[in-house]
Parts: sequence; C-alpha cells; structure tokens
Amino acid sequence: MTTPNVAASRRFTLTGRTANLLVIAVLVGLIVVLALGFRRDPRDIRTAVVGKEAPAFRLERLEGTGTVALEELRGKVVVVNFFASWCVPCREEHPALVRAWERYRTSDVVLVGILFQDSVESGRDFVRRLGGTWPTVVDDRGRTALGFGVFGPPETFFIGRDGVIEGRHIGPIDEDTLVRGIETLRRKPS
Amino acid sequence: MTPARIAILIAFAGVLVAVAAAARPAPAGPEERVERIVAELRCPVCQGLSVADSPSASAREMRDLVVQRVAEGRTDEAIREEFRRSYGDWVFLAPPTQGAGTLMWLLPIALVAAGAGLAWGRARSRAEAAEHDPAPADVQALRARVAREEAADL
Repeated sequence: MTTPNVAASRRFTLTGRTANLLVIAVLVGLIVVLALGFRRDPRDIRTAVVGKEAPAFRLERLEGTGTVALEELRGKVVVVNFFASWCVPCREEHPALVRAWERYRTSDVVLVGILFQDSVESGRDFVRRLGGTWPTVVDDRGRTALGFGVFGPPETFFIGRDGVIEGRHIGPIDEDTLVRGIETLRRKPS
Repeated sequence: MTPARIAILIAFAGVLVAVAAAARPAPAGPEERVERIVAELRCPVCQGLSVADSPSASAREMRDLVVQRVAEGRTDEAIREEFRRSYGDWVFLAPPTQGAGTLMWLLPIALVAAGAGLAWGRARSRAEAAEHDPAPADVQALRARVAREEAADL
C-alpha cells in the first residue's frame, strides 16, 4: 500500500535533480555567452565595410566645377577622408593630411576629402584657411557617408587599386598612420 | 484537473495569445513601412536611440534614405540589407534572428518552457501523491493489524 507513495516521492526527487541540472545548464550557458561577448572587440561593429568594395560615388567639387567619381580613380590607391569645418579633431588632423598629400601628390595615390554634414561656404572657408589642394567634394545629403558606414568625422578610409576598402581609421589620423596605410596598399600587388 | 494545472494552462494560453498578437503582420503602407524600418535602426551618433527617436542630422539622413528607398519600390529586407552592409548588424536595435543572435531570441522562450515543464512536473507529482494516500479506513485497519501482531509477539 505504501508503494505508490514511494514512487511519487522518487519522482519528486528526480524532478528536483532535474531542476538543479537545469539551473547549472542555464548558468553554464550564460557564462559561455558572456565569455564570447567579452572576447569580441567592441570596435568590430565599426568595420562592416572593410574588405568590401567601396560604395561608388560621384560628387560635386567643393571648389570650382565638375565632379569626382571613385570609379575614375580605379587603379590608384585612394584615401577618402570625411571632414567638417565644425569638427575640432578634423582641424587637428589637417596638417597630417597636408604633409601626406605633399609627399604623394605626384604618385599613384589620391586623397579625396568629403565634406560631411556641413555647408559649402564653411567647407570652402575651412580648406582656404588650413590649406590642402587635394580634391575635395561635397556629400550628397549624407548618402556617401551612409554608404561608408560613417559614424562621425573625421574618418579615413584606405581603398586599394581594386576598389576594395582595406582599412579604416576613426578619429583624427596622424602622418605615420597615413603613410603606413598608404604604403601597405602600394606594396599590395594589383 | 487540479487548480494548478488549470492555472498553468491559462498562463500558457495567455502567452500564446500575446505572441500571436505581437507577430501579426503590420500595415504595409509606405509611411508605416518607413516608421517600422527607422524604429528598427540604431542612430549611429546616439546612445541607444533609434533613428525614429533621434533628432540628429545622421538620423535624419538615414530616415530620408529609407523614405527614398521605399518610394523607389525596394523591399524592407533590401533596405535593411543596405544599412547592414555599411554598419553591420550593430545598426539594428534588436539582435539578428540568424547566427548567434538566434540564441538571444530562443533562450528566453526555452527558459519559460523549462520553467513551465518543471512546474507541471511538480504539480503532477503532488497530485499523484495525494491520489495514492491510503484511505482512513485502510490506515485504521493497518493500525489494528499491527497492534494485534505486537500483542501476539508479546
């Protein structure tokens, strides 16, 4: 007569063990998820476009007339720099861009400045005051910046001769980083 | 059926109704589509704000692009893919439903299911234990028998 009670209590014990196993499994799962999350470089989220073909653009020049198209620069190493006159770090990095341009202007390297969320007048004033004779263009309602996945200026992209984005620098760039990025692409066989 | 079982079944039915209501297809007008997509997109210059909620210039440009793409006849998925190509899965406020992101969606469901299973099992065990308790008359008879046998041993 006591047999059913024994069976019931045994089943109850098994359920308790199952509950313990379940808690342990959940904890292990959480630890694995957290371990994977911490291992990941949070800056990875910003590199979605690296290794992919650069988004095509044809944009109006900031000074003078005409346009600059990325497609027409195929076969050259292209450095695309997003900047704005209201951006203080852009002013900080500008001398490095000027020096790099002086170094490579007669070579197979092209620097293209893209004015980001700024007025044409302010952009022209910025370039005239700080110097720089590389092609500078005005973004079309932010479309190019969105295509490149820009978060905010300054951002610099290194594009190989095949049109693929090989590198990206977020924030003000220095001359060493510029030269290193350019030389890496120049050495790369086309 | 015990009250515990009924309560669990009602809770399950409630969850199913809520999930079904949340998953029903939204209206597919252009404005609704734009609002739905910009609500999913993360503003790149904000802290945890969607493009729909952010007044920033970048969010405005993203919204304008979505409006243009919808007007061009692109599908929602094609528009999302355009942003994913530029910003990665980060650009979506909700984790993706593919790859590792699937875990984020399935884990809560699995936990709720496991908890419900556990509660069900315990309720069943208790009910069975109660069903198999000896009748008072049987207990009385057993006690009388034990008393008789003890008296005989003496």
